[in-house]
Amino acid sequence: MNAATAQAVEHHGTKDYQSDLKPIWCPGCGDFGVLSAMYRALAAIDRPPHEIAFVSGIGCSSRIPGYTTAYGFNSVHGRALPIAQGIKLANPELLVLVAGGDGDGFSIGGGHVPHAIRRNVDLTYIVMDNQIYGLTKGQLSPTSPRGLKTASSTYGSLEAPVNPLLYVLAYGAGFIAQSTPADMVGLVSIIEAAIRFPGFAFINVQSPCVTFGQPEAQLKAHKAGMKSLEKMGHDPADRLHAMALAQEYGAELYTGIFYQNPQPAPTYDDLVRQRQRELGSAATPKDKILEMFRPN
Amino acid sequence: MRSDLIVGMAGSGGDGVVSAGESLITAAALEGYHAMLTKSFGSQIRGGESSCRLRISTDDVFNPGGTLDVAVALNWEDFLKFGAELPVGGHTVVIYDTKTGVPPDRIPLSGVTPAEVLAVPIADIAKQTAGTDKAKNTVVLGLLAGWFGIARAGILAGMRKKFGKKSPEVLEGNERAFAAGIAYAEEHPLRSAWVMTPPEVGNGAQLLTDGNEICAAAAIFAGCEFFGGYPITPSTEIMQFLNREIWKYGGTVLQAEDEIAGVGAAVGASFAGKKSMTATSGPGMSLKTEMLGLASIAELPLVCVNVQRGGPSTGLPTKSEQSDLFQAIFSAHGDAVRPVLAPISVEDTFRLTVEAFNIAEEYQTPVILLSDQEIAQRKETVPSINTSGISVVDRRRPTATELEHYERFRITESGISPISRPGMEGGNYLASGIEHNEHGAPTASGVVHARMNEKRLRKLNPLKRRRDLFLVKGNADAPVGLISWGSVAGVAMEALQLAQADGLQVKLLIPKLLYPVSEEVYRDFFASVQAGLVVEQSHQGQLHRVLRMMVNVPDGMESLTKSGSNPIVAVEIVDRLRSMALDLQRRRVPQFEPRE
Repeated sequence: MNAATAQAVEHHGTKDYQSDLKPIWCPGCGDFGVLSAMYRALAAIDRPPHEIAFVSGIGCSSRIPGYTTAYGFNSVHGRALPIAQGIKLANPELLVLVAGGDGDGFSIGGGHVPHAIRRNVDLTYIVMDNQIYGLTKGQLSPTSPRGLKTASSTYGSLEAPVNPLLYVLAYGAGFIAQSTPADMVGLVSIIEAAIRFPGFAFINVQSPCVTFGQPEAQLKAHKAGMKSLEKMGHDPADRLHAMALAQEYGAELYTGIFYQNPQPAPTYDDLVRQRQRELGSAATPKDKILEMFRPN
Repeated sequence: MRSDLIVGMAGSGGDGVVSAGESLITAAALEGYHAMLTKSFGSQIRGGESSCRLRISTDDVFNPGGTLDVAVALNWEDFLKFGAELPVGGHTVVIYDTKTGVPPDRIPLSGVTPAEVLAVPIADIAKQTAGTDKAKNTVVLGLLAGWFGIARAGILAGMRKKFGKKSPEVLEGNERAFAAGIAYAEEHPLRSAWVMTPPEVGNGAQLLTDGNEICAAAAIFAGCEFFGGYPITPSTEIMQFLNREIWKYGGTVLQAEDEIAGVGAAVGASFAGKKSMTATSGPGMSLKTEMLGLASIAELPLVCVNVQRGGPSTGLPTKSEQSDLFQAIFSAHGDAVRPVLAPISVEDTFRLTVEAFNIAEEYQTPVILLSDQEIAQRKETVPSINTSGISVVDRRRPTATELEHYERFRITESGISPISRPGMEGGNYLASGIEHNEHGAPTASGVVHARMNEKRLRKLNPLKRRRDLFLVKGNADAPVGLISWGSVAGVAMEALQLAQADGLQVKLLIPKLLYPVSEEVYRDFFASVQAGLVVEQSHQGQLHRVLRMMVNVPDGMESLTKSGSNPIVAVEIVDRLRSMALDLQRRRVPQFEPRE
């Protein structure tokens, strides 16, 4: 985010980010926790809502922008990242947040993730990972464990799941974290840290589906099984160790920052602005633009 | 003396026939001729055979013309691959390289006796003078300059510019090759002395460019500040041009990971308040289609260029076709109407691209600019365009009062709602692909959905009254009508001239706004028409079919269609029009009873 525009005159509380829309998630859905963590993180960041663009795809979790007072864009399935990049490049002053589910990010939209990361557009991407397609009533998701029986895998899934953490680490993201609404304090601080990180930041939130999710992947189980990376003594600057830990996705629920680049790379949006500045003086006036087609 | 000259050249990828065409058209443009250069390649885009066709005239050039006046074959195998694109007729002068080993009376053009056939030791002259047969194309330029009295100074100046930087030896070699070509032409005069009439004085102030580049320049002129796209033949030059230029105007080009991300980023940039654009060809349009639906329901301005090529699928990626009209009009899911515009020339592409942005901004809608490979990749001389007469429209922003109780999708009389952008205090709203009420809140209400559909379609109605987006030419009361669009409209314009010169009463309608269909314009045009033709470069004749669906088309309106890569020429249109006119006369005979 841009420090110069962060000087809000009045401070914003969590209520300032809550819209009038009432969430229609199932009672007990993990996404409620993500939403309230979001409100708290945004209040801590304290940017006025109209300077925030919050983009999502399609899925239960993709409803989240509408529950905030930010400019929201609830777009089409899997395409939140391209839209968010267009927004950020068009107006780098904005704080641009992206959210969606595991299907949005790692199935239909999976092709966009590596490219958003290699460009290093300054976005915060929150995936609410519940290993199931909840909106369409319980089909297999790309993070569903092998063998899972769902509405679309009657006899059990024959596929190995993707590992979002390992993918994103390998793609080269500068900030990668995981959390769960079972750890609200941790979740809020991770969202805040991700937003403050200058560059592409990824958070995998284990956000249980109470209706179609596995019984062993609910908040209660998270609370019992989650392990804090910080308490384990993991150094977030150690990318290789982060990869070793990420391999345990599906077996262990590690919370906290897997990797944070201590020397963040220049962002795409900064490089774009730099190029515009460098070349800006070379512009022919727009009404003379056809002159370049004079034969000579 | 001639006022119109059509030259076709073909060779292998490295023979430089296209670059010879470029040199010649630049020199001709500098002299003040009107000219058009079309390039044609084998399906491999890079490598393989290549050809060009150059038409030079003292008058306006509307299309690449039909039968060649001069055919240049550096080798026959490549020349023959272009078939109907390089037709040789009885008046054609055929020039080919002696090295092909074919005697002049045995050239492989069956069924045609050209006016003259000249075997010229092109490669040998190149080797002797420049030391390399890479200068073959320069020898050809010398021959053409010598025989037709054109562009000598311009070609020399161009060579100095092109090779002067490289090395003086290359330049000198080419100068010698060029001079040798001229000398050969002078020593071997053509039987028919074909010298071009000098162009009118003062026509030197013209531009020379192609449809893709002028489209990109128009985008910048119109205020476009974001382009997202993915390379695809034959549209890529739009992205490339913008990538060179748009940064200077505070804009950005994103070469995305795929077609979907390209248009997605453009939709995002539009949401963020910038005029934005994407460009592609048929297969890419298929991928972008979902995103266009999003832009329709979220009411976001967006210009999407489809430079049509032969399809379906990879089809004929380097050849022009007009077979994506159905896709442009009908590929929307839901009740979405996207305005579809089609330019008819390079010059027209400038105005129509600006128009596409203006319509997109004014009506908050995606607009499809349906160009085609022919226009997009051919070079044309373009008269200077007075840009001060071209208006640029910006989207309607909410006023301070409107921002007090802002409703993004307020149902207004015009159907157009003021549009805010992130960063605008009080304008916060949720843009969404899901149906929404006037505030932008998601809804599944049938009542709201119906009202919103009505609003989104109603706002486009004024477009149907845009008669300036149609060209009507010819005899107002003519019983025979001709309709054409896109690049083929240029052929139809020449056909109209030829038909009228032949005494036929014909009128021509060229729609540049193809959708929504303007019923009134067609009704007026068809008022006197009893027969006629809709001429299109596609197998099905897609405009003809769209018109039959949407308006009352007279029974006598027929379709003249050809699949891509099978050029439609003016004389065949005239032939059809003539026989239609005769048919109409014949039908009137029984009613004609001379007085006793």
